[in-house]
Amino acid sequence: MNNASRANSITRRKLLKASAAGAALAAFPAPLIAQTKPFAGVTLHGASFQHRFFTLLQKYIPEFEEKTGMKIDLQLSALPVYNQQANLELSSGGSAYDFVNVTFTLATRWIAAGLLANLDEFTGDANLTPAEWNPKDFVDGAQVPYRDAKGATYGYSWEGGAMLMGLSRMDLMEKKGLKIPKTFAELQQVCAEINGTDGVSGMVSWFLHNWNLPPYIQGFGGNIFRNPPGDPMPTLNTPEAIQGVEFYAKLLKSAPTGVLTYTEDQARQAMLTGRANIFIHSSAWVTPILLSDESKVKETSRVVRSPAGPVHDYPASNSQGLGIPKNAKNQKAAWEFIKWALSPDISMRLVKEHGHSSICRRSIITSDEYRKLNTVNGQDLGALYLEVLELPGKGENYMAYRTSKEFPIVGDVLNKAFEQVATGQLPAKDAMNAAQDQAIAALRRAGTKL
Amino acid sequence: MSESGIDGERRRFIAFALTPSLIVLFAVAVLPAIYLIVTSLTPFQLTTPGSATDFSDPLRNYALLPGDPRFVNSLAVQAKLSVASVLFQVLLGMLLALLLNVPSRFVEFARTFFLIPMVLPPIVVAVIWKLIYAPDISPLYYAARALHFTLPALTSSVDFALTSIIIADTWEWTPFTFLMVLAALQTIPDEYSEAALVDGANRLQIFWYVTLPFITPILVISGMFRLIDSVKAFPLIFLLTGGGPGTVTEVTNYYAYLLAFDTNEIGYSSAVTVVMLLLVCGISLGLVWMGRRREALA
Repeated sequence: MNNASRANSITRRKLLKASAAGAALAAFPAPLIAQTKPFAGVTLHGASFQHRFFTLLQKYIPEFEEKTGMKIDLQLSALPVYNQQANLELSSGGSAYDFVNVTFTLATRWIAAGLLANLDEFTGDANLTPAEWNPKDFVDGAQVPYRDAKGATYGYSWEGGAMLMGLSRMDLMEKKGLKIPKTFAELQQVCAEINGTDGVSGMVSWFLHNWNLPPYIQGFGGNIFRNPPGDPMPTLNTPEAIQGVEFYAKLLKSAPTGVLTYTEDQARQAMLTGRANIFIHSSAWVTPILLSDESKVKETSRVVRSPAGPVHDYPASNSQGLGIPKNAKNQKAAWEFIKWALSPDISMRLVKEHGHSSICRRSIITSDEYRKLNTVNGQDLGALYLEVLELPGKGENYMAYRTSKEFPIVGDVLNKAFEQVATGQLPAKDAMNAAQDQAIAALRRAGTKL
Repeated sequence: MSESGIDGERRRFIAFALTPSLIVLFAVAVLPAIYLIVTSLTPFQLTTPGSATDFSDPLRNYALLPGDPRFVNSLAVQAKLSVASVLFQVLLGMLLALLLNVPSRFVEFARTFFLIPMVLPPIVVAVIWKLIYAPDISPLYYAARALHFTLPALTSSVDFALTSIIIADTWEWTPFTFLMVLAALQTIPDEYSEAALVDGANRLQIFWYVTLPFITPILVISGMFRLIDSVKAFPLIFLLTGGGPGTVTEVTNYYAYLLAFDTNEIGYSSAVTVVMLLLVCGISLGLVWMGRRREALA
């Protein structure tokens, strides 16, 4: 064979090899793609209630889909609808969802019933979770609801709510020589003195009393249960609880007409337009007096720590978490999504690109960028937010009542009793004695051993 | 073919034609009702495994009902709401029908206008009334302020909350009775009232002795329909008062809803619902029996 023919022959051989390789690629492309996109072809089904966090996250989801190859089917519903759907789905052992919002009020119930996957199995595996994801970076107070009695974690918080006090008309207060109230007694005085001045109500609130009222009961040294979550005996008719109810009912006498049926939005509007001076609620509802374009009271507003009771200083807080149902079909893919959605990178982008501040990663909340964006008129809103969010994780978890599985029943009874007091149907003592009896009867009916 | 053969064939055809509808009816109405009754015999809680199939004490939920003050209160609230709203709806509907039973193009247009509340989705009706009752944005409150009159917070006042629901429900459903009575009025031959006029009867006497006997069966039927329907005043209560203040507007179906979806007591909630179902069936059968008795006497 001469050189020329050898060269031709090699060329032909190479060509044949190349053709074979091409054919193989054409015939079996998936494994090769799968090596680069390990979740290619997976459709991940998740559900939560409608919240700005998810609306913003949806803008970034195409990036995640591109990176991993999976498709995200995220169903968002109104909070009560979502809770009902998720409760039914999880309780019936369904596998329709790969990841879910773990609503903090349902967290203890779901965890105790074994409906959620233990996320420590994912964070403990270096192949599944890189060290820089750092589970300990989540504010401890926000993580408390998502742990079981042994300390295992079943959810990671994507949103935190910390109770703060907003004051919209500091100008009026200064005219009257009133200072920012730091105690319940001062709060009562300021509300009463401002009420009616310039058509401004002293206080505003909204209809979910089982959220607004407990900090006052706790402030006077009472609680909703004897020792939640272990001892769920209601304590609605203790002298402290009665005092808290009486105090809060008196406080609402300085509120606009119809406040008992106010929604959160109505209350927020009353603040933003300066029709009500004080609103004590989660930061997301209070801070718009400084941050929102709608606010007509930016110049005269302050956001501060809510007043302390004579016994305790227990501002309410809450968080919402993401978790994986025990029966989810794609648990690893779901963890990949949770890891990405709650990563430091996405968290920081949400803060920087959208001003979304209610995240739960300490490293972000304490970062210079976060502080710069959330310091308004010299008020460091981030520091306030973090301070309150951390409290239940320090020492006694005073928010344990809110995640107790008995709370929905007792909270409903408490709502009714408070309305009876606030509308003058019953004196506080009688209403709370009746509420105590009803709560015990309802818990026994539901099978709780007291 | 024999006559009995024709009858048999007709019966088979009727059975064949009805079967699909009966299957659908069974699937969408009877099966859920059976499941509701079965569930009411259990202590079913969403987060208590096995509770859905625990029949160890099947009548426990029913035994607890008489001792539950909220359930007893809810029945009383339901009775007040139903009686008042049905009474107003029938009377107003009749009045409107009598006023608008005039052959005129303008009146025909007016009739259409009066039907609007009935055809609106219930949740839209609830939102409309939520706005009317909201003190800070409501035109009702603006008007009151302009007249130097202070209105109380209607939906959060013990004295007015139930009345607010009754007013909204009456606004929504008066068109139904109006339509029924108007249809009945238009079937009355003119000769009767003309003869009465010749005999010297005045308008009130004509109404009492001629018109009313004609429309009474329709008034009873529309009242019965509204009575049965009044237990479904859920959207108004959900949006306007949430059953409050306290339990002033907490009707039975709203209490059942709270039990099932807020506190997860599915079994107990089913028992409440079964009792409500039985009461509605009882009222319906009673009214039907009264109607038949009246026909028999006539």
